[in-house]
Amino acid sequence: MPEIKVTPLGAGQDVGRSCILVSIGGKNIMLDCGMHMGYNDDRRFPDFSYITQNGRLTDFLDCLIISHFHLDHCGALPYMSEMVGYDGPIYMTHPTKAICPILLEDFRKITVDKKGETNFFTSQMIKDCMKKVIPLNLHQTVQVDDELEIKAYYAGHVLGAAMVHIKVGSESVVYTGDYNMTPDRHLGAAWIDKCRPDILISESTYATTIRDSKRCRERDFLKKVHESIERGGKVLIPVFALGRAQELCILLETFWERMNLKAPIYFSTGLTEKANHYYKLFITWTNQKIRKTFVQRNMFEFKHIKAFDRSYADNPGPMVVFATPGMLHAGQSLQIFKKWAGNEKNMVIMPGYCVQGTIGHKILNGQRKLEMEGRAQNGPLLDVKLQVEYMSFSAHADAKGIMQLIRMAEPRNMLLVHGEAVKMEFLKGKIEQEFSIDCYMPANGETTTVTTNPSVPVDISLNLLKREMALGGPLPDPKKPRTMHGTLIMKENSLKLVSSEQALKELGLNEHQLRFTCHVQLQDPHSDADTLHRIYTHLKSVLKGYTIQHLPDGTVIVESIVIKVSSSAEDSNTKVLLLSWSYQVIIEPLLKKSFLYPAVLANPPLKSDVISSFWVQTLLQFPDSNKHCGITES
Amino acid sequence: KQHYIQRRRRTKWTFARRHQTTWNKHQECSCRAVFERYKDLHVYQLEHPTQVLEWTSGNSVCVAGYSQSKNEILELRLPLKLLADENKSLCAERDFKVSHGGFTDGPVRCLTHIPGTRCAVTNDGLSSDLQVWDLGGEESDVIRRTGSIKGKRSASERGSRIAARPSSAPQVLHGAQISDVQLTELASGETLYKLETDSADPLSSLQFVSDTVFLAGCCNGSVYVADTRTSAPPQLSHSPSSAESVIWWTDAAAGPHPSSRRVIRVSSSGQAVVSDLRNLGGAGCQAQLDVQTPGRCSQVKVSWAPTLDDCISVSGFSGVVQIYNTRLWGAEPQEARPLFEHRGHAVSSQQTDDSVPTFVTSHIWHPERPRTLLSAASDGSVHVWDWVDPNRQGGSPTP
Repeated sequence: MPEIKVTPLGAGQDVGRSCILVSIGGKNIMLDCGMHMGYNDDRRFPDFSYITQNGRLTDFLDCLIISHFHLDHCGALPYMSEMVGYDGPIYMTHPTKAICPILLEDFRKITVDKKGETNFFTSQMIKDCMKKVIPLNLHQTVQVDDELEIKAYYAGHVLGAAMVHIKVGSESVVYTGDYNMTPDRHLGAAWIDKCRPDILISESTYATTIRDSKRCRERDFLKKVHESIERGGKVLIPVFALGRAQELCILLETFWERMNLKAPIYFSTGLTEKANHYYKLFITWTNQKIRKTFVQRNMFEFKHIKAFDRSYADNPGPMVVFATPGMLHAGQSLQIFKKWAGNEKNMVIMPGYCVQGTIGHKILNGQRKLEMEGRAQNGPLLDVKLQVEYMSFSAHADAKGIMQLIRMAEPRNMLLVHGEAVKMEFLKGKIEQEFSIDCYMPANGETTTVTTNPSVPVDISLNLLKREMALGGPLPDPKKPRTMHGTLIMKENSLKLVSSEQALKELGLNEHQLRFTCHVQLQDPHSDADTLHRIYTHLKSVLKGYTIQHLPDGTVIVESIVIKVSSSAEDSNTKVLLLSWSYQVIIEPLLKKSFLYPAVLANPPLKSDVISSFWVQTLLQFPDSNKHCGITES
Repeated sequence: KQHYIQRRRRTKWTFARRHQTTWNKHQECSCRAVFERYKDLHVYQLEHPTQVLEWTSGNSVCVAGYSQSKNEILELRLPLKLLADENKSLCAERDFKVSHGGFTDGPVRCLTHIPGTRCAVTNDGLSSDLQVWDLGGEESDVIRRTGSIKGKRSASERGSRIAARPSSAPQVLHGAQISDVQLTELASGETLYKLETDSADPLSSLQFVSDTVFLAGCCNGSVYVADTRTSAPPQLSHSPSSAESVIWWTDAAAGPHPSSRRVIRVSSSGQAVVSDLRNLGGAGCQAQLDVQTPGRCSQVKVSWAPTLDDCISVSGFSGVVQIYNTRLWGAEPQEARPLFEHRGHAVSSQQTDDSVPTFVTSHIWHPERPRTLLSAASDGSVHVWDWVDPNRQGGSPTP
């Protein structure tokens, strides 16, 4: 049987370093190539030795697909392509291709320049790696080679995030990457065709989570900002240029308008240019509302939000500043943080995850005294007095979202990755119960094998089709499968279905006639001749519209079926009926009258059994007969 | 009198000014109001509405669906952010975690956790049979059915009430009507105690008030108090009113001091009566609650606050949960104003069908956090809220 194999090299029962190997129809595809943020050693990258122990990556893999720009999905890309060595095609969407190198470079700087790690990829490697990337458009089918095709679908989550449909022949797999089934202020909800893949590989980050409403999250954010502003404090919001920043700006703008607040809101200039640039490029990836507003005005043309100048940081009075980078490891956000950290009236709101080793990570872990770079060793520590707030706005599908996606795509099997190490037996049971499909959760290095039922195209002769249609009565329902009779001939690498007569002709064979007989026992005190006559009248009344003859030689004939009666040697009350019929299509319409017909279709080899039990059923209705009916078959 | 007129004028003026304000201003008020009214407010949406909310520990709660066919029982872990007292601001975790889940074949109308165990007992509201569940431990996240207890009635109008208390061998007190009440050991199915009475009044509440003493409240308003150690006839307190069409719900405060052991009875017409558990027939305080619609059968829930003296919560009359201070009530029934009202379910309901207004199906106080409650509504929403006492704002304590 043909099969599809899925092996997570990372993200199997784990969050971080997503990397999944899929073997489908003789093709090997790698899905995502992420990095684990929690580790500094080998465990940081996926275990490529799983492949490389048997040869080079390029020889083994047909392609690599990256779902979105988060580092736990693309962080190991330069390592894999430039250090381990991979020269095959790498696919990602346009926005991912644009943003991914910025994040990789940012991360390289933190790891190499700040933490002083060696044996890490270089800036040049990031550039070289990106040269191998082939961009994808939404809903565009890309032919990787003659047999392998991929298609990207919208996944929400972050700008440019995509789900991919991978197809080889009639077998297919969908990989979701990270996705979000509820639209937010700047992105839409994930969507996919009813593509009925053999396997749906879904993330399950929030599979055991019931999310607090977005409104409450936002209200808390506004409450914090408002509190700080009311007491005359300054609020710093370190952000990455894209995504959450836009979302929070839209939110604050509306709030300022509504509350009639006067305190200034600034954003750092680098941020606007970059963000505007990308939003102009990738406007199709945002939600409908943003697309509409963007036609009328610039994404960052806000009434209350103004461009920031570094001299403003020293201005007296309350203010709110959005600044990059998001993890406080360098640049403007770090400069402002240093200036404002000493005042307990001030506040820093961290709206996302921070990598280990960054100031952001340290203050989120409650550290209140920070060693600053550029200051003498053992020099004065930076006293963090300002209020630190951590808010998570990350957008993943929860259990409800996963169920929604299954309903949309209608997969034949389900495979969950990118989930916490906790047990998800309940969710597995829920999916299996509700959709009657199997659900797998392999660990890293563990292979899940799913057998598939690929459809094989067969040519059918027009004559046979016409004949089958004529037999079937009304026109068949095109949505329902239908059984038909024919002979399958395999000849010169092609398959065709013809009528049995034609098959006999082509093969030069003669037709054989089969005749079936069986014995049915009845309890009936009458004479043999009387019993036969009673059977004749009974059948006449039951099988209306059929030719039934009572011949003088002591037989009853129904169409081609012969019935004879004799008494048992031991007991004259026991009558033995001999039934005999030839294998003919004519029997089927006869059987169709009875409830036995589906059984005949389901199990053609048992046809003679079924026919005899049909007779037993018919004869059981025989009046006065003692309902003692046995059957023997020859 | 002049003072009165002046005040009238002033109110009129503010009223007029308020009406001149823009829509934005109105929103500003509502925004500020939410900021000020709640210390914490979390809003969740379950796939299916629940009528049960039951603590299984200080940070986990059970919910279960009540649709006619298949349903889920879920054990949810409360968000860390809500429970954190120190470094609350550094905690971003504000979601429910489904720690355990299981499937039922019928509706779940009543669910009781047996203290000190990982065991829960449910009733479907259709008969007085009980289902016994293992809530699962560290090794599995699946809630499994482990047994059942055959009830006395195969078909009953409102199903069984269930009460449990800590004991060496898990046991439950249960019954659909007052004459059915019995204590059953789960493992053996053995009846350990039966309430001796002939009355066939259907039960609306059943709870232990101490290790052995329990209270059984009937739909007609009468309350029985009995001790499971003796077969002596129960102490009976008759209904506070003779009206026949009303249904009563009861809750007892099981405080450590005998003086704090009080019983509240609330009727479907909004009448509330508080009496002393030691002297149920004696004079207590009462009030007419500020509810508009007559309470829907089996939906009204009244509950004493576990740590705030004299406070009760009421839900089930509409889409709101109300909190009253019973200390302000007198001997004669007077209109009482709620101390606090949680309108969130009615306001933020995503229910599209306007013809069926959202109503609160259940609510429950956090056992230790004084002003934290959970409430669930017919649209599947579950809210966790830590309210601010309007009288205590600005640091002045309640009188």
